[in-house]
Amino acid sequence: MRAAYALAMERLYLACIVVSASALVAITLVIPYGVFMRYAMNSASSWPEPFSVLAMVLFSFVGGAAAYRAGVHICVQMLTNAVAPAARVWMARLADLAMTATALFMLFYGAQLVRVTWNQTIAEFPTLSVGLTYLPIPLGGLFTLLFIIERLWLGAPPSTSIMYRDQPLAE
Amino acid sequence: MIEVLILLGSFLVLCMLGMPVAYTLGLAAIIGSLWIDVPLEAVMIQISSGVNSFSLLAIPFFVLAGAIMAEGGMAVRLVNLARIFVGAIRGGLSVVNVIASTFFSGVSGSSVADTASIGSVLIPQMVKQGYPKVFATNVTICGSVQAVLIPPSHNAVLYSLAAGGTISVAQLFLAGVLPGLLFGACVIGLCLILSYRRGYPKGEPVTLRQAGQIAVDALWGLVTVVIILGGILSGVFTPTESAAVACLYAFLVTMFIYRDYRWAELPMLLHRVTKMVAMVMMLIGFSAAFGYMMALMQVPAKATQFFVTVASNKYELLMMINILLIALGTFMDMAPMILICTPILLPVVMKFGIDPVHFGMILLVNSGIGLITPPVGPTLFVGCAIGKVTMEEVSRELWPFYAAMCMALLIVTYVPAVSLWLPHLLTK
Repeated sequence: MRAAYALAMERLYLACIVVSASALVAITLVIPYGVFMRYAMNSASSWPEPFSVLAMVLFSFVGGAAAYRAGVHICVQMLTNAVAPAARVWMARLADLAMTATALFMLFYGAQLVRVTWNQTIAEFPTLSVGLTYLPIPLGGLFTLLFIIERLWLGAPPSTSIMYRDQPLAE
Repeated sequence: MIEVLILLGSFLVLCMLGMPVAYTLGLAAIIGSLWIDVPLEAVMIQISSGVNSFSLLAIPFFVLAGAIMAEGGMAVRLVNLARIFVGAIRGGLSVVNVIASTFFSGVSGSSVADTASIGSVLIPQMVKQGYPKVFATNVTICGSVQAVLIPPSHNAVLYSLAAGGTISVAQLFLAGVLPGLLFGACVIGLCLILSYRRGYPKGEPVTLRQAGQIAVDALWGLVTVVIILGGILSGVFTPTESAAVACLYAFLVTMFIYRDYRWAELPMLLHRVTKMVAMVMMLIGFSAAFGYMMALMQVPAKATQFFVTVASNKYELLMMINILLIALGTFMDMAPMILICTPILLPVVMKFGIDPVHFGMILLVNSGIGLITPPVGPTLFVGCAIGKVTMEEVSRELWPFYAAMCMALLIVTYVPAVSLWLPHLLTK
């Protein structure tokens, strides 16, 4: 059970990174495309801007969850480094509890927002629901929650995790 | 008043527990909204709208372009370019270090990226020439602080957003040029004084022929600055578009012209940048909700009232703000500091008749100094790792550098023309 959950979290992390990185690459291509169409083809496209904003919201919340698992979020460690090891453990547990609360708020109230706005449509994309613009919030909350459970149940991911396979290749 | 204490108190307590600052801002906003009965859906809307802005997209692009340039061989070329301007003066390599940082700031916009790139090239060379490791590290980290000022500084974009998008990014980019160069000049001045006193080695002269080759080689990278600044100032691109085009350009130059970056490295680079940028975006999203709660609780108005009571003129106010920001910078990272302090302090300084662009520069210089002050200084940490020295060793010898940087800070603070002359000249 523990091994299966750890594997699932590895895959979820990879999926978060792939989705976010793909969104980033898509935006990087779409915006110069908009510039090209405006100046070279003299035919400005209206969709690159709203598409990029939607992709950025997705990137932020899904990538933010992956960043939590990878431990790259900025933390103030002045006090935690100064206290005794036993107190440090308690502080870490309290911080985990606070993280759980935040993720649950994102999940439930984000989902509530999606439900309320689901029948409205985005002006630039009449076939898409406004709810989709808010969907990354509950998704980000859910993924963060799953990563918190992994951290509390299984501890920090092992050094062989895919999370650490982002360093430059050796010569 | 109690609601403000709940909001700021919960933020501080959660921060001190070691919870990620981004989520701390979000949870403090949620606690504040529960206290004053604001629907939580409204907080969620603010979190989403925090990252739902086209101008915000400039940040990931500048970070991505900087990462591609930093890892794709640009640093070595810019170090060589800097050698042309220095020649065989005493302490030449330390001056090369600062000038290379100035050039690199123009393509990366990140102090940490500057330290990592320039430091990994120059610290070993400086040590080999006989400079102490600690001095080489200190020069690298202090020189790299220019990146927070010299365009394209993504922190300037962050400040513009934190100010509600009312301050032009183009003006901020222009405003950062002279303070950035002034900052570099102060560090160079100190390097020269210390080099003469301690007898550090002289630099190596570069022949005219070599200089020509080096300049041509580095030119491709420097065109990025032209794309960004030229594109924005001419009105051809918005800042976001210029950042995206610069990103694409950086990729093409690195992969097809310089060709010293392997395709197999790209997924790793994207992985690193994704994590880093997503962290910043979460910070921005949650700080939007925190800022919304502060506005509902009238925190900026209360702060203005407080400063009007304690400061009799703008010079006193600026001194107080500088002391406050330096103190905050010792334990807060740059992005959260900009996002939290701007909505509180901007109305205060505007009440005293200070130009918001000028205040932006003051804020950036202060938070830039915060990047190299212990206990929390990301650039300091990276510099120590690259220089293979301990934070204690570095901190002991940083004092003259802090003095030089404080001198630059005071000039930027009390001579507004340093920040405002160029934007007034070029954007009229």
